[in-house]
Formats: sequence, C-alpha cells, structure tokens
Amino acid sequence: MADEPVVIDNHRVLGVVPGKPVAGDRKVLGEEETVMVWPHLLVRHAVAALVVLLIVMVLALLFDAPLREIANPTITPNPEKAPWYFAALQELLAHFHPLVAGVLVPGAIVLGLMALPYLDRNPQLVPQARRVARTVFTIFLVVWIGLTLVGFAFRGPNWSWVWPWDEWHGEL
Amino acid sequence: MSEMDRRRFLARGWKAAVALIAGAGAWTSWDALRPRLPAGFGAKIKTISADDVPEDAVVEIPQARAYLTKIDGRVVALSEVCSHLSCRVPFCESSGQFECPCHGSVFNRAGDFISGPAPRGMDMYATEIIDGIVEVNTDEFITGAPPGTETIIEPPRGPACTEGSGHA
Amino acid sequence: MKLIRWIKETAVYRSIFRLPDVETERDRAASHWSSFLMHIYPVKVQRRELRFGYSAFLGVASLVLFGSLTISGIYLMFFYVPSPGTAYSDIQSIQTNIAFGQYIRNVHRWSAHVMVIAVAAHMARVFYRGAYKPPKEFNWVIGVVLLVLTLLLSFTGYLLPWDQLAFWAVTVGTSMASYVPVVGDVTKEILLGGPSVGSATLIRFYVLHVALLPAILAFLIAIHLWRWRKDSMLTVDPPPPGEEPAAETELVIAGEG
Repeated sequence: MADEPVVIDNHRVLGVVPGKPVAGDRKVLGEEETVMVWPHLLVRHAVAALVVLLIVMVLALLFDAPLREIANPTITPNPEKAPWYFAALQELLAHFHPLVAGVLVPGAIVLGLMALPYLDRNPQLVPQARRVARTVFTIFLVVWIGLTLVGFAFRGPNWSWVWPWDEWHGEL
Repeated sequence: MSEMDRRRFLARGWKAAVALIAGAGAWTSWDALRPRLPAGFGAKIKTISADDVPEDAVVEIPQARAYLTKIDGRVVALSEVCSHLSCRVPFCESSGQFECPCHGSVFNRAGDFISGPAPRGMDMYATEIIDGIVEVNTDEFITGAPPGTETIIEPPRGPACTEGSGHA
Repeated sequence: MKLIRWIKETAVYRSIFRLPDVETERDRAASHWSSFLMHIYPVKVQRRELRFGYSAFLGVASLVLFGSLTISGIYLMFFYVPSPGTAYSDIQSIQTNIAFGQYIRNVHRWSAHVMVIAVAAHMARVFYRGAYKPPKEFNWVIGVVLLVLTLLLSFTGYLLPWDQLAFWAVTVGTSMASYVPVVGDVTKEILLGGPSVGSATLIRFYVLHVALLPAILAFLIAIHLWRWRKDSMLTVDPPPPGEEPAAETELVIAGEG
C-alpha cells in the first residue's frame, strides 16, 4: 500500500479487488436473445412509419397525379399504356397469344408463388444451403423487373421500341 | 334411429346448411351481377347509301363503332374494336390496312389477320341493304376469321402509319 | 405533468387503460397483454428482428401505406360521384376547388404506387430470409393473396378518374379476362356490367375499390399479423445437415414463452 491515499473525485480508493464488476458481466447478446417489443421494436417501427410517410408526402409535393383528357371510347391513345405494375404483362401480350400472356403466365406466377413453401421443402435458412431456390427466384425477379422496365419506359407508339431519353411514354 | 345416427345426421346437417347458404349466396350474387343487356348494342343502325361505300378505303360509322367497306362489291361492317384486347383499330390511309396502336396487330382492308398478337381477324356485324341504305345490325356479331384466311389479297400499298407497326 | 399524473390515477383512466405500474418486465408484458392495440405484437422478439437488414421494415411500410390510402381515400370519397357524367369533373374540381384536394389526390396516388413496391419488396425480402418455411407456409400464401389484392385495388382505383388513361387501361385489362377458358366471357361481362367499359363498370369498380376489396384486405392483414405474432419466436435456424434436428416440443415451448 502506498503512503499517499489514491483520491478520485474527492473519494478515497480503499482497495482494488480481483473479479467481476458489481453489476455482473457485461453480457454479449446473441441474435437469438429476446428483447421486449416495447420499446425496442416499436420505436424502430415508428421511425420506419414516419420515413415512409415522409417519402409519400414529398413525392406528393413534387409530382402531381396525372389526369388526361376525359374518357373517349372512339379514340385509343397511341401508345396505350397499362399502369406500370402491369407493364411486364403488356410487354408479354405484344409477343404471345393472350391466353398465354394474359391468363397462363400471370396464373402460373400467382399459383407458383403460393405453392413455393410446399415445393421448397429444404429446411435450411442459410443462403449457402439454398442456392437453387435463390437462383430460380432471382432469375424470375430479374426477368420480371426487366420486362416491366421495357414495357414501362422503352415502348412508344404502336408498341414500337423507343429510347426513354428520346421520347418519354411511361405512365403512372 | 340410434343415438349415433342422430348425432351424425345433425353434424352433417349443419354443414350441409352452411354449404347451401353459401351456394345460394354465390348463385344470387352471380345472377344479380350478370348484366341483363344483350350482347352488342342490340340495334339496327341506318348508315349511308350503299353506293357511297368505297371499294378501296373504309368509312367509319361512329354510332355502330364499325367501319364499312366493299369486298368484291359486297358491303361488310368491320367492328373497330380490336379482336385482341378491345382497343380501337384505326385505318391507315397510306398502307391501306388496319393498324392497332395498342399491341401492333395489323389487318387488311377486309379484316383478315396479317400480323401481330391478335388471335383472329377483325370481328364483323351483319349488314342489310334496305332501299339502297346500309343497315348495320349491331345485335348480330360475327366473330373474326382465323389467321390465314385470305378474303382479299391486298399487300400494303404504302408505308405503315407508324414505324414498328409490323412488329410481331 | 402533474395534471397528466392526476389523470392517470383517476378511476376513469384506470378503467380504460388497465395497465399495471410498469416496473419489471413482467409488468410490461402484462400491460402489453391488456392492450388491444398492442396485442398484434408479441411481447418479445429476437434481437435479429431489430436489425434493418432483417426485414427493411417493409411489412410495416406496407401497413402504414394502407393506412395512408384509407385516410386519403376517405377524403376523396366526400367529393367524388362514380358516374361517367360526373367522375371526371369531380376529379377536376377536387384538384382546383377543394383546399388541399390536389395534394390529397397526389398522396393517394403515390401511396398506391409505393405500396405496390413495398408489398412486392416485402415478399422478396421474406423469400431471401427463408421466412416462408415451416411452420410459416400458410402465412406466405396469405401474403401472396395480399399482393394480388393490392394490385387489384390499385387497378380498380385506376378507372375512377374516368380519363383516357383509365378508360383504355381497363378496357385492355378486362379484355384479358375474356381469354380465360370457359368462364372468361362471363367473367368479363360481370366485371364490366355490360359488353364494354361504361357507367355500370364505373360503379362496379368503385364498389370493389372502396368497400369489398379493402374489407377483404383488412381481414387478411389481421390474419397475416396474428400469424406473424404467433410464429415470431419460431425463426430458429435448423442445425446443419447431419445433426439431430431440434425437438418439436422445444420449439413449442419457445413459442409460448
């Protein structure tokens, strides 16, 4: 023991003992540990909700919803565009018989998605153990997003190819 | 009737009753929501003099949503509603063909299918000539001819109205 | 603050919010159980669910957008009559004569577009996480139905402004239905209420858009969330292949805890 007492913040240190701090070990929490939903999850959800609302409110400030001329059964606009989320289907309709592009393909997609958990019986969750499922799904997503982009932005009058920077025909 | 039979009868009975009510509900709403209108416009529409119907072009009759033209001297009324997905098909003067703006289907002057995604030729209405005036019977709908039908052979007489209209 | 504390101690407040004084986690869980609004959440979740990368909060985003669409949609309903004679001019007058009308219409339109994206992205995220695997298969199926309903809601709303965009998109869209074998033509006629898009179509799409489809959607969302809560403790990684799978009972206990 030193002769001079050690003083920290006007408090004299009497001694140092080996071992754990009084509050116990600082626990390293694993991913599987559970936490209370309030406040941990709810706070995050509230922030997420506010961010989404902010995005919508800013979009609504910047861009007005479209309103074309009043409906007229005797004039079909050229090009006639479906809303963007059906642009992929419209692109398919220009190439295949409507029974295929308008009924069989969308029907197969919806039924296939519904059946997915019953077709993919591999219980693994780690990405490396489910390469086939991930590859198939990714290909489907890429093809569908590609078709949507083509139908939305790259098609002009008479459904002919246009470059979106030359002529803009996308409709929301 | 034994105890078990009665139980089983009741157990099945209430399920049958639920099924019956569901069936009746489905049938009622189906019937209620089915439009009562006859197919088409249901009327005979007086149009123009048969002599005024051109041999090499078409005349639009807006109230019948149809075009009149003459094929081998006979007047036909072609529905302007595309047999593909119901867009209005305009007639292109420069090529002498019908070119659909929606998905690029092309039909010749007689409504025969030429190219594009349409499954058949243009649909038609029955026509009658009464006192020299063409009457289009919009109640009598004639489904378009299958692809490959060649009522007339008229190649495009000029450029298409918009480029890319010939795309398959 | 004193006033708030006083209100919280009144008999009326305590009868509405039957919450214990929150001191321990057990109290917190108890107040959770006793709240209607909180009961769609589990009491506890695994920490992984807090990370942004786990879900990107896309499910919450979809739900919030549905709320935004309901509220802005109710505003619009006050000023809109679904008839070919009035629909278009009603939209025009919403945009020009009504305070914040244009803005509310914009919010409705953009919420709809963003909701389609959010729901689709939610589905993709759930797929890549493998969260459709047993025991959650059926909640995935409900999710697919919710995606289809979202698209249908968006599409039925598309007709209501009664402009050229609306008229022809719906003409083409419903013509697709006629190619369904056997029932196609009847389905198309029932959707349209006649041989082509007209006043009957407008009122049909309106009823679907503001009443029938939202009711079905809300009902399915309730089931979707309820199942999510019940399954929220079950995202246990299975052991690597070759090892003994975790006993079924353990999972059940974890789920109830």
